[in-house]
Amino acid sequence: MDEDFAVEERNEGDLVQVVVRGELDVATAPTLREHLHPAVDRSSGPVIVDLLAVTFIDSTALGVLIGTQERCRERGSDLRLVIDDARIIKIFEITGLVELFSISPTVAEAAIR
Amino acid sequence: MSGSDDGGSEVRTREPVELSIPVHSDLIVLARLTAATVASRAGFDVEEVDDLRLAVDELCVLVSDAGSSGCLRLTFIATDDAVEVRCSLDGAETVDGRGSEEHGERELSLRILDALVDEHGEEFDGGQRRGWLRKRSVRHGRS
Repeated sequence: MDEDFAVEERNEGDLVQVVVRGELDVATAPTLREHLHPAVDRSSGPVIVDLLAVTFIDSTALGVLIGTQERCRERGSDLRLVIDDARIIKIFEITGLVELFSISPTVAEAAIR
Repeated sequence: MSGSDDGGSEVRTREPVELSIPVHSDLIVLARLTAATVASRAGFDVEEVDDLRLAVDELCVLVSDAGSSGCLRLTFIATDDAVEVRCSLDGAETVDGRGSEEHGERELSLRILDALVDEHGEEFDGGQRRGWLRKRSVRHGRS
């Protein structure tokens, strides 16, 4: 597993922020799921996933984000992604997932959407 | 790998690079690293190297079928303008279908491959799953 990979949860009022760092692939996607699903279950408001420090993402991690989005919607919540790396945004574009997710370049912008 | 030995500084990857790894999620990073190295030595630019790295990751995930056992064998072949990668799964207990798929990851993998490489394919033959891809360098294609 990527030694730089880390997931951290921060709570501020109704806002839950999950900060991810490192490479998101078939090895680390399960850990991401383990953090995101409980975060969604505990949250009473939007869940922000900060992917600013993510350097790689593949289909398995995208699958986790899609599952988390569905979980949010079932609970009347909202999943918001924070991405500013053109290489990462490109993956969302070529898979058509830019239509599914709310994507902002900063956490501040994601919080006020 | 082979290189010119005629006093020139250019080194071209001509001979295949082979990689054999146990099917374990932690080890797919080795396939990505090898893909990036082969592409870089073949003269791909940074974006093309990134594309091939992700494409090889997706190929490995498709062929290895998350959760199965066995050994993943990859062959990287660099030509003047392209890199071809062949991937096969040997000795797996289950090789039919993507065991952990929940949210259309296979479809996502195929979309990514469609977008990032020039050609790709998969086959299941004689109890063995195989996949391959080929990516050309635009820069080399223009020269």
